[in-house]
Amino acid sequence: MTVEQARASDPLSEAPAMPREQLEEVFDDIRSHVLYDHELHGCLNCGICTATCPSAHYYDYSPREIVQLLWTENLEGIYDAMQEKIWACAQCYTCAARCPFENSPGGLVMIMREVAIKHGMQSAKDVLRPFSRVLLKVISTGNQLAPNMITREAFPDWGPNISKVDAPLNILRKAIPVPTMHTMDTAWEVNLKTSVELYTIWEETGVLDQLETVDENLFDVVSDVMDEKRDEYQEWLDEQEDEDDA
Amino acid sequence: MDKRDTKKTVYTGFGDEWRPSNLTPAEARAATSWVEARIDKRSMLTSKERVEDIRDAMWQLEKDGEIIVHRVDERHEPVIARTLYGWEKKIPTTNLWQHKSCGQCGNIPGYPSSVMWLMNELGVNYLDETDQTSCTAWNYHGSGIGNVVSLAAVFLRNFHQAYMSAKAQGLSIGTYYPLVHCGTSFGNYKEMRIFLMHSAELREQVKKILAKLGRLVDGKLLIPEEIVHYSEWLHVMRERIKERQVVDVSNIRATVHPACHVYKMVPEDVIYDETVLNGDRVAVSTGLMQTLGAEVVDYSTWYDCCGFGFRHIIGEREFTRSFAIDRKIKVAVEEAKADVMVGHDTGCITTLDKNQWIGKAVDKVYALPILADCQFAALALGAHPYKLAQLHWHASPFEELLEKLGIDWQKAKLEFESYLEEVKAGRIETLYDPRRAITSGPGYVKQKALAGGGK
Repeated sequence: MTVEQARASDPLSEAPAMPREQLEEVFDDIRSHVLYDHELHGCLNCGICTATCPSAHYYDYSPREIVQLLWTENLEGIYDAMQEKIWACAQCYTCAARCPFENSPGGLVMIMREVAIKHGMQSAKDVLRPFSRVLLKVISTGNQLAPNMITREAFPDWGPNISKVDAPLNILRKAIPVPTMHTMDTAWEVNLKTSVELYTIWEETGVLDQLETVDENLFDVVSDVMDEKRDEYQEWLDEQEDEDDA
Repeated sequence: MDKRDTKKTVYTGFGDEWRPSNLTPAEARAATSWVEARIDKRSMLTSKERVEDIRDAMWQLEKDGEIIVHRVDERHEPVIARTLYGWEKKIPTTNLWQHKSCGQCGNIPGYPSSVMWLMNELGVNYLDETDQTSCTAWNYHGSGIGNVVSLAAVFLRNFHQAYMSAKAQGLSIGTYYPLVHCGTSFGNYKEMRIFLMHSAELREQVKKILAKLGRLVDGKLLIPEEIVHYSEWLHVMRERIKERQVVDVSNIRATVHPACHVYKMVPEDVIYDETVLNGDRVAVSTGLMQTLGAEVVDYSTWYDCCGFGFRHIIGEREFTRSFAIDRKIKVAVEEAKADVMVGHDTGCITTLDKNQWIGKAVDKVYALPILADCQFAALALGAHPYKLAQLHWHASPFEELLEKLGIDWQKAKLEFESYLEEVKAGRIETLYDPRRAITSGPGYVKQKALAGGGK
């Protein structure tokens, strides 16, 4: 257990209490989020959200508790929930579909996750470690998943059959009758121009800053890939100019 | 007056401090109406004015000169469907821009190939191209990396490309209308459209980014009139699909898994149809299966999610597989005696299909074929189960379903293995001319002869 978690979750811990200013800073970031008022309108504590929540079946997690903590501005409780509980949510939005107040507990969880990342909380770093391959893929290519990520080693619990026809992956991919899908590194062939456009979106929206906060090494790798692809695209643009001049 | 209910004439269980209100019937009606008007979502079925149709705000913003709306027009031959509150939704049926799904293309390729094969069969024109990114919402919901501005910018970048793409074929802009394959992309884009319409600040932020990318139209944001999921296209095309059916599916007991991000996110935009389960449940997929003649069987956990969880499928799979087996697969097998579970979203198909094998470790041995609705429809129309429906990527026992449908899967498998030799030799069959797939950027070659070409 990290010091943060000990402070937050163990009332008998001798670790010093989280300074009030820090708790307020975290809560201010949550309630000033552009979607906060859209996701929270009130709460009768009816619990229909928790009754229908898949994660509540298996985790010490309750969307009702999340909403109540925020509605009552329980700063210690909010901070505590951000150490682990918010990562239990399966993001199905069943809670939102059911809530008579039209709250979105799932949406509130997303706001809290964003803020956990912004504050570089250890919980976010721990939870996102297994997600790093996916993050690398989506940020550097614009595709979340690639065929060559689905391996028996990565998914041993999926059984022996990645494909029930035994053939090299590149041949199986070419046997898909959709030309854009004859790929292995990305789910479909993403134009270089498209990836470069996406990099601008990442930069302009602070996504790369988020990544740097939670995983500096991954940020470095992604930055290198982006630089390479941008150079490659610039070369292509230069070639076009040369051809136009000729 | 002592208001204690000593005769126990009303509900109990609220504790001693509870007092009956003793309202008159008129007062009770007034109080109930007040509650309904404020918090009972189902009352919206009779009080439509409570729910905002975001398209009203969209038309107003266009009138105010802030945005331009990409319309579903006669080029797209729309069919009108009805959504939860009876509102009309225009579903384009042709000239469709395939907004692909990363999970489908990466992991269940028979999903998009079945959609495109059905379009070929029905003579529907479409464009599948390389200038598209994932919506990036799987990543956002899983990791928290990303934000509303990045998601909205990705949304409008992709849809702007769909709008402009026809230029590469010498056709007018707006000819192609985006058809979203993934349920999460569909839900996410609908949310983003609402946030964009509500927030001038968000519009301004996104506009600056898209201006840098050259992705504005006349200096304005381009917003789609409708955000359309492929299952909605299948739904409005189901009678035309049935006309081409060659495989009898009437002996199939089918369960449907409706996807959370398809019908729980922005529920007011979801198709309900009184002819499909009395309009009580989302119509897509179920309507198609019924039209094809399968017996759709209800089950008690239809409302539950699949257990995908976005980050759970990657990093906390014990949750995913437990939920998938206990709450969906087991129930469909034991309660509904299903031959197949049909879905309409990326993560659900993956989760339900891949997480059966591991059940053996805890004596939860279930074998239930899992298919996307479009794959089932393609099979019903005679599509090759391996070459076109690409079922070999499925871990669940689809062979049993094929046998029940009278399809010789062993023969089909041999044919496919033989085809793989052709592929190795470079003789590859595709659903459309590959040159159409690049519309700009590296690799683009002007192909005038392709203009207006159907396939």
